[in-house]
Amino acid sequence: MTHYSSRFSLVPVGTGSFSPSRTPASASEIKDFLAFALGEEHYALPLSSIREIMKLPYITEVPLAPANVIGIISVRGRVTTLIDMRRLLSMSELQPTSKSRVLLVSKGDEVIGLLVDRVLQVYRLTDNEIETASTMGGEQAAYVTGIGRPALARKGEVIPENGQQNARFREQLAQTVDDSIGVEILILLDPDTLLQM
Amino acid sequence: MVDRKDKGEGIREEFIAEAQELIEGLSRDLLVLDHAQQQNAVDPETVNNLFRGVHTLKGLAGMFGFSKLGQLAHRIEDLLEDLRLGRVVLNQSVLDILFEGVDTFQRLLAEAKNPEEIAEVDIEHFERSIKALAVNQKSSSDIIAEYEIDPGVIAVLTEYETHRLRTNLSQGITVYRLHLRLSLDVIDTVLKQLKERGRKVAEIITYLPSMSVGPDEMIDIDVLLASNSPESELIKVLDQSESVLSVIQRRTPHVPPPAPTVTIPEKRDAQPVGAAIEKSDEPSGDGFAIADRAGDPLSLRSVMNTVRVDIRKLDHLMNAVGELGIVRGALGRALEKMRDVPGLNTLTGELRRIHRSFERCLIDVQDDVFDVRMVPLGHFFNKLGRIVRQVARENVKEVRMVVSGSETEVDKLIAEELADPLMHIVRNAIDHGIESPSERESRGKPIAGTLAINAYQKGNHVVVEVQDDGRGIDPKRIKQAAIDKEILSKEQLDEMSTSELLDVIFLPGLSTAESVSDISGRGIGMDVVKTNLARLGGMIELHSEVGVGTKFTITLPITLAIISALVVEVAGRTFAIPLSTIQEAIKLDPRAIRTMEGREILTLRGTTLPICRLADRFGFSRETKRSRQFVVVVVHGARRLGFVVDKLRGQQDIVIKSLAPSLQGTRGIAGATDLGDQRLVLVLDAPTLLDEFAATSRTNLLQESLS
Repeated sequence: MTHYSSRFSLVPVGTGSFSPSRTPASASEIKDFLAFALGEEHYALPLSSIREIMKLPYITEVPLAPANVIGIISVRGRVTTLIDMRRLLSMSELQPTSKSRVLLVSKGDEVIGLLVDRVLQVYRLTDNEIETASTMGGEQAAYVTGIGRPALARKGEVIPENGQQNARFREQLAQTVDDSIGVEILILLDPDTLLQM
Repeated sequence: MVDRKDKGEGIREEFIAEAQELIEGLSRDLLVLDHAQQQNAVDPETVNNLFRGVHTLKGLAGMFGFSKLGQLAHRIEDLLEDLRLGRVVLNQSVLDILFEGVDTFQRLLAEAKNPEEIAEVDIEHFERSIKALAVNQKSSSDIIAEYEIDPGVIAVLTEYETHRLRTNLSQGITVYRLHLRLSLDVIDTVLKQLKERGRKVAEIITYLPSMSVGPDEMIDIDVLLASNSPESELIKVLDQSESVLSVIQRRTPHVPPPAPTVTIPEKRDAQPVGAAIEKSDEPSGDGFAIADRAGDPLSLRSVMNTVRVDIRKLDHLMNAVGELGIVRGALGRALEKMRDVPGLNTLTGELRRIHRSFERCLIDVQDDVFDVRMVPLGHFFNKLGRIVRQVARENVKEVRMVVSGSETEVDKLIAEELADPLMHIVRNAIDHGIESPSERESRGKPIAGTLAINAYQKGNHVVVEVQDDGRGIDPKRIKQAAIDKEILSKEQLDEMSTSELLDVIFLPGLSTAESVSDISGRGIGMDVVKTNLARLGGMIELHSEVGVGTKFTITLPITLAIISALVVEVAGRTFAIPLSTIQEAIKLDPRAIRTMEGREILTLRGTTLPICRLADRFGFSRETKRSRQFVVVVVHGARRLGFVVDKLRGQQDIVIKSLAPSLQGTRGIAGATDLGDQRLVLVLDAPTLLDEFAATSRTNLLQESLS
């Protein structure tokens, strides 16, 4: 039995439901990232690390839980811990809005929800569009793998056509993503290091 | 009458042909059985054949809609089952019923062939005669008890195996145990060969493989077999290297014992393994290496009527059933709303009826799923038996383990959770409780200490008692230890009653063992045992008398998954409190609150009830001036505490789901549940909250008494 209502449209992403076909683009490798916003800052996680994107469900507060935990949510009957990305990245807290989304990512055997202000879009970045953390000046937090600089021409490009499933995915993603924002830099995050925190 | 109008002619003919064949087979087997009964040489396989035949007939009849035939087959099948398992003894009156049954099958089949020929069958008559049999046949004292077989072994036998053992013993057939040590990679072939070879000379009653695999990839197996052939011949036929064949002896001394143990001479020196062989010459109840059967992949038992299922599959099923319960709740609420909508009366009434029958079906399904998850504690007690022997040997103590209630069933998960606490208690009992043989002798006690484990069901709980006849726990020593380790002050201890002093062993940091041994007293204390049990909604009690013995009583719910809970609201949040922990809920009279040492208390029917405001406990800002609040009185062991809540929303059946690993450490929360609106509600872990509350007040007291 599934009992999620239309309020929580579940968008299957990543493992199992869709695998982006890799159009061999010259020598440089292409990676897919899902971009999201926290306030004015734009972040991105590898698309492969994200299992689903959910609209904000009812959150049950858990007293005396770790500080980053905003509460628990029900994902098709499974009790899932929800982490506030703002708290995790030491940003000021914000009341969730209608644009808030939950990204479901895996941590070991567990699936954890990450609350973000809004989901932007999928970016396909080539190697020369990524500035790795090691070549960047200054100290970086361990969970930052680099900075993505999507060429402006790439804006709006989503995912190449890849059969039926992909068409459905695009449709659902279209309801979720917000590509009205011009993104100049994306802070690329490493999900594993991030969730160690 | 039987519904078969819509059955095609071809299908009916197919059924008739097959049923006819079956009935003829039954008739033949029955004649064989009748003959054998008169000769007093009944082959159990004949009864099994009959059973299988009737079972197939039942299935066939059900499939083709011949309900009368099906019902009759069902009754006869039950009777055969009783016969197979020795609940009913085969005699002429049983045979009469069976013959009449087969005759009636034949008449019903004739009716199926030609519907004009209506057969008069009185199924209730069969039922009555079968019942009468069971009443008339009260079994006499059990012959198995007269033989030296460990009760732990008997506990793992299936009912059928027990029956075969009993029958063989009562017919004076010698029962042997064959101890084998086999390498894992050849085990299947060897056992298969053994089975084939053995069949000619002996009846193999059961195989009892041990779960543990030795370092050399060898596994111990005990085979119980009954045979009239002399030992020498058995040895020749079985032809097993590294095996030990021994006769199961009668306990009474006047029966001339045959050679107690014969080691089959073979290529390598036979290594007797297990306590059984080492002391097979002394008459003790401890005569057989108990093998573990739970989940053993090597067990060759007949699987005719059983299926092994991965517990996780059952968990999924249970979850699905739980979700159905939630759907039922949501449906009920929708119906409530519909009642107020004008013009829908007829429809609502109809829906309500459907809802009720859905509810009934769901309850059946729930019961069945629970039933499927149940395992007898016997499996687990056998494992315990091995530990008892091992620990006793390490301690050079003699311990007799007496088990009763092995058939008590609990949820598989509960059985698993019971393992650690029980092992800890058993180890403690042997390590610290039971005295050394010389000490026991000097005190006039039997040299062998007794460790009695008794399990029984009590309402929705299962009770497991572990009792030893050792030296008991001395409250004075507990007192001293508590003072030495600064767990409690002398003043506090002085005020305690003996039973309160005994309960101190459940506090963290206390171990009264004078010497820390290899086995127990290594950090894991009784406090952990208690906490683990409390987490499952269980509890542990202790009674001890110096010099006489100690008894631990563990009480656990039979199942974990679906519980009744009281749904409450605290500062706008909803919580569920398991009903099993709640004594009562009362209205809070703010004027009745007093304070004692900075804590709020109420007087409830003449006794003091400390109260805990859940909003404060969880750090919620308290709602402004509530006019009405409630106190939910929770009990755990001897302690009581009143939780102050804002609203009582009523009782509901809930499915507890555990929090994800990232939140597992959250104290005071047992899990979460969905009340049917996709909103999770936290389930309070009342025992932990209560203990925590008590611990903090004790610290307060302690600090105050120190200052």
